[in-house]
Amino acid sequence: MIWVQLVNGLMEGMMLFLIASGLTLIFGVSRIVNFAHGSLYMLGAFFTYGLVPLIAPGTIAGFFAAVLLAGIGVALVGLIFEIVALRRVYGSADLMQLIITVALVLVIRDVVRWIWGPNSLSVPMPDALMGALIIGDNFFPIFPFVIFGAGLVVMLVMVVVIRFTRAGILLRAGTDDRGMAALLGINEKLIFTTVFATGALLAGIAGGLAAPYGDVNYLLDTTVIVTAFIVVVIGGLGNLFGAFAAAMLVGITKAMGILYFPRLSMVLIFLIMAAVLLARSLGRQGGPSR
Amino acid sequence: MFDTTKMGISAVALCAALAGAAFAEGDAIKIGYVTGLSGACSSLSEDGLNGSKLAVDELNAKGGILGREIELIVRDSQTKPDEGGKQARELVASEDVDVLTGVCSSAVLLAVQAVAAEANVPHYAVIGSTQKANVEAFRPNFWQIQANATMEAYAAAEFVAKNADWKRIQPMGYDYEWGHTSVESFAERLKELRPDIEISNPIFIKLGDNNMGPYVAPALSTKPDAIYAAIFGGGLVNLIKQGQGFGLFQRSNLVTLLTVDALQSMGDAMPKERLFGIARAPFFALEKDAAFESFIDSYRTAYDEYPTDWAINGYDGMMIYAAAVEAAGSTETDALMPEVYGGTFDGLRGKGLTVRAFDGQMDAPAYVGAINFDPAFPFPTMKDVEVFAGGPLMWSEEKIQTLRDAAR
Repeated sequence: MIWVQLVNGLMEGMMLFLIASGLTLIFGVSRIVNFAHGSLYMLGAFFTYGLVPLIAPGTIAGFFAAVLLAGIGVALVGLIFEIVALRRVYGSADLMQLIITVALVLVIRDVVRWIWGPNSLSVPMPDALMGALIIGDNFFPIFPFVIFGAGLVVMLVMVVVIRFTRAGILLRAGTDDRGMAALLGINEKLIFTTVFATGALLAGIAGGLAAPYGDVNYLLDTTVIVTAFIVVVIGGLGNLFGAFAAAMLVGITKAMGILYFPRLSMVLIFLIMAAVLLARSLGRQGGPSR
Repeated sequence: MFDTTKMGISAVALCAALAGAAFAEGDAIKIGYVTGLSGACSSLSEDGLNGSKLAVDELNAKGGILGREIELIVRDSQTKPDEGGKQARELVASEDVDVLTGVCSSAVLLAVQAVAAEANVPHYAVIGSTQKANVEAFRPNFWQIQANATMEAYAAAEFVAKNADWKRIQPMGYDYEWGHTSVESFAERLKELRPDIEISNPIFIKLGDNNMGPYVAPALSTKPDAIYAAIFGGGLVNLIKQGQGFGLFQRSNLVTLLTVDALQSMGDAMPKERLFGIARAPFFALEKDAAFESFIDSYRTAYDEYPTDWAINGYDGMMIYAAAVEAAGSTETDALMPEVYGGTFDGLRGKGLTVRAFDGQMDAPAYVGAINFDPAFPFPTMKDVEVFAGGPLMWSEEKIQTLRDAAR
């Protein structure tokens, strides 16, 4: 029983991480709080809904190909948005960023509703991933395991890129000291655009991976964004590994909370956030310089 | 800032608009339709509106009500109580509507009912079903044409009680007023009917949570013979889909709300058995008389889909209103309400339905059936649908009075 719930928590944590990683990545480099991140996630789910029947339906490979393509589609949307709108507000008042990203939320929501309608849609699961693994008395659903594995792969790719490639070095330089990176002749614009598109890619992939596990509707954007922000705040804004730890913490706390303190599971998460904020306000991430 | 030409033009436009209204005055019967076209209620609201529109078109084609044309004035509540209340107030004040209806969400229903009661405008519910509108918030301008939340929960309890080999039941519900009321009413009625059944501690699901796994696993850990789940919409779809990974339909049965829209959105992910649904107006289980067949035909022609429960209730609601106005010979509240509370009404959901004056509740039936795959339809339906007559599911007047006194 505890094991099943632990798996539930890890699965939710991994989904949260995939969403939060893009959010924190974008913030780390460009200091943009992207309220539209949930919308990009939702767009990933809808693109996957559109693509799944076209690419070898029912097969595992077809599903992952659809998710990847959906992610790339969302990355393109992010790319265009960054170039057309967001680029103009870097460094300006926070309110401007808020207005422009919230505007994107509204635009995406209306476009999605216009194209796919207001009803919940269902993305079919690959046939082989339906059902459960039965170990003793416990049923472990197969699909969440696969999602967890896919999330690990995405994370591994991220770590390799950030640690060992030139793009990763530039990214880290940009996160550490934007001014210095620019002084050394690094093309800031290119970094910002790439990072935003990458964040959008991650959101799109997360939306696509989660799509068969739940319903897909045009209200998904706000459902995920709040918890994603909580994760980012607990992990430290801009801190990727912090986001991973926080996502796992939130996922597992929620699952265990439902089991042992059913009325308090959400409260527990907010308590953790409050505790972290109190502690961190004196620490490295929470100081006034950031 | 103001430019005189613009002002002149607006003044002319305003006069034209007023003149248009004056022409229609005393002529058309105005239906103030406040519904959640955007927000969480949008898909239900749209269906309800489609059904209502069809009824209005049919009535107008036959010459309207009392020879007067019917005009449907639609407003979007955005599924927000304050917005819904505002829209209702505006409809009453500037459009002078004859009746208010259309509301989907319970919270908005109560907000609109407050406005309608204050203005003494007739108001009937077609989607929203909180029993509060029958109890604390009730005023004799209101009627509810569907089984309300507690009646639906009672119907579920009656159905569960009939399964003699079910010994342990796990209730689940959304973690807000409706979910809690449903779970409580269900448990209360089930205990009366089957004292031998063990009812486990209810599990409440956070509204808007997409991940049902963390709720399903603890629910199944009590090894229930059946789970009763007072949830709907996306959460329900997720529960059914994700529950299969935990062996929900191998280890237990699920009794929940299955309206036609839910059946349609599940597609292939619907389990083949051990799923039982409570419905408000399942078109495939209604009596197939001539009126029904013609309704289905015209609905499918107009919207190219089968009517959901919400569409049927929208249609039925409008027809009931029309019948009451015809009988009263007037749309005035004082003349109309005795006809609403005293009349008998025939609709798609049955004949001879009545509305109780004490709380405005219609003795509308509730439907419970088992999941079925009928090749005649492109989506799952239900079989062995049992119709629970509304009367025995309604709270007694004494009980309602006690609750009203307590609320005061």
